[in-house]
Amino acid sequence: MLEILKKTLKAGSQTTKYPQIPDEAPEGFRGKPQLFPDRCTYCGECAAVCPPNVIWLTEERGEKTLTLSYCGCIFCGRCEEVCQSGAVKLTQEYELASKTKEDLLTSIRRKL
Amino acid sequence: MNREFTEALKKEFGNNILDEVTSRNETYLTVKKEANVKICDHIYHHLDISLVSIFATDERKKDGFFKVHYVFSLDKGDAFVIIKINIDEKTPRYNSITHKIAAANWYEREIQDMFGLIPQGHPDPRRLIHFEDMPAGVYPLRKDFNIRTKPQRVKGEYVYRRVEGEGVYEIPVGPVHAGVIEPGHFRFSVAGEPIINLEIRHFYTHKGVEKLFENISLDKAVFLAERVSGDNSVAHAVAFCQAVEKIAGIDIPPRAKYTRTILLELERVYNHVGDIAGIATDVAFGMGAAHANRLKEEILQLNEKVTGSRLLRGMNAIGGVRRDIGDKKDGILLELSEIQRDFRELMEYLMSIPSLMDRIETTGRIYNDTAKGLHVVGPVARASGIDRDTRRDHPYAAYPEFNFKVQLQKGGDVYARTVVRADEVCESIGIIEQALWSFPDGEIKAMVGEIPDGYAFGYTEAPRGETLYWVNTSNNKIERCKVRDPSFCNWLAIEYAVLDNIVPDFPIINKSLSLSYSGNDM
Repeated sequence: MLEILKKTLKAGSQTTKYPQIPDEAPEGFRGKPQLFPDRCTYCGECAAVCPPNVIWLTEERGEKTLTLSYCGCIFCGRCEEVCQSGAVKLTQEYELASKTKEDLLTSIRRKL
Repeated sequence: MNREFTEALKKEFGNNILDEVTSRNETYLTVKKEANVKICDHIYHHLDISLVSIFATDERKKDGFFKVHYVFSLDKGDAFVIIKINIDEKTPRYNSITHKIAAANWYEREIQDMFGLIPQGHPDPRRLIHFEDMPAGVYPLRKDFNIRTKPQRVKGEYVYRRVEGEGVYEIPVGPVHAGVIEPGHFRFSVAGEPIINLEIRHFYTHKGVEKLFENISLDKAVFLAERVSGDNSVAHAVAFCQAVEKIAGIDIPPRAKYTRTILLELERVYNHVGDIAGIATDVAFGMGAAHANRLKEEILQLNEKVTGSRLLRGMNAIGGVRRDIGDKKDGILLELSEIQRDFRELMEYLMSIPSLMDRIETTGRIYNDTAKGLHVVGPVARASGIDRDTRRDHPYAAYPEFNFKVQLQKGGDVYARTVVRADEVCESIGIIEQALWSFPDGEIKAMVGEIPDGYAFGYTEAPRGETLYWVNTSNNKIERCKVRDPSFCNWLAIEYAVLDNIVPDFPIINKSLSLSYSGNDM
């Protein structure tokens, strides 16, 4: 009995107040990838290497669109690795729950 | 070792051996189709070499034949001998070896379902991977099967083995279980409390991973390998990368080897601690479970700090690793020493609780000969006195440079498996410490150019046991990738482990074997 009490007191409280108090992911965390429209050259390299194929480059009426879906993203960071211009970066953000798949799409576009 | 061995085989079966190819530590012997049973039986029983996998390939485009490969592992000399037979499409039958080598059972049934090659004389020719609703004549791993095909569903019935007699009842459990675990069906036959027979049925989540491999590029395939079995990510990814590196002759830098070793051992530590937590949960010792889970969480958070992923994902690539962990050296060492002290204390405490010991001692015994016959692998095998460990027998990554002991127990019960895991946790932490103390400088990734056509094995000792990849590349793509997860070997052992045990002990036995549904079903 005393043993149990000692162990419990030593371990202390382990839970945090999340989500009331935000729980920050450590540096280097593989979180939600972010696109930077001003740096992107629309070369499509990220779309080509993406293992689950959740990045698409489309072209319509002279406008190029790069779309990324967080839905199937595996946070491997291959897009970040191959991007020459630093237009994709993994962030420390991990709260991705949403009600629809459309909410999990992000896209940037540019007129040619 | 390999040469001696093949010479001996040639002397014995000279005119049955058609062709011999050796590359690195793998020797491929093509033999006459009719001689497969004789030769495999000789290697297995006479030379006492274990059968680690059987797989088929569809090479009809190349030379008009299907091939079946029997993989034998020479543990004493770090070598593999692969017996190959050619099978013509018009007569897709070959002799089953299951009546001689029990470990061949599931492999042959798998080949029957996926390739339509029939093992004649198999004692249990039922379907294994396909369900009754799959029409006859659909063989997904044949090259002419399109991955987008959606076969029509048909009606059919699966016949379970029945145990009959007065007072014998059947208890069906699953495939849907309480809690967030994967699906599997367990059919118990009981007479009162003791279990007199258990039949398991799996493959509810068959995802066609091996077919998926054939359709993606090599660098993407690393991430697929990583996801074959969720909590054995590193072991799978490293095994795959090693196979490709072996084909291409890439020598990865020492720093990458060390990093891989550290990651593999971190994976082992969190898995084993999690398993011990599970055993404490299953004997209803909540307080012990809470502390073990707390420790597991600490390790997962350490993983996250080191690699950015709690399950150590995204670290491996062909040619090395993708992130340098050198700057986190001191942090890892500090944290691990604390975790180890805490873990030792916890194990001492757990083992002093009579209500826990009562439940795990002599429970779920897997006898040494059963384990050997089924080719059980990993900590489960080592708890039944089988002295096998891929890290020592087929050294890879930086393991040859470290001192570690392969932990053995003889009991074969839940207690023995718990002890093996606990000892391995300490051993693993020891390996990580050695690796970090002598962490080499330099590059973390070798230059990778074109991957030549070829084939090779990659292997690791995952937390669950020996993981085997056979990769065949052609034109920078994967022609065939055979994955042999440790759970595929170990699942059948549970049918033996539960015999004469009572139904309430099933969860503990199951947990102590720590089997993966995902890795098995693939």
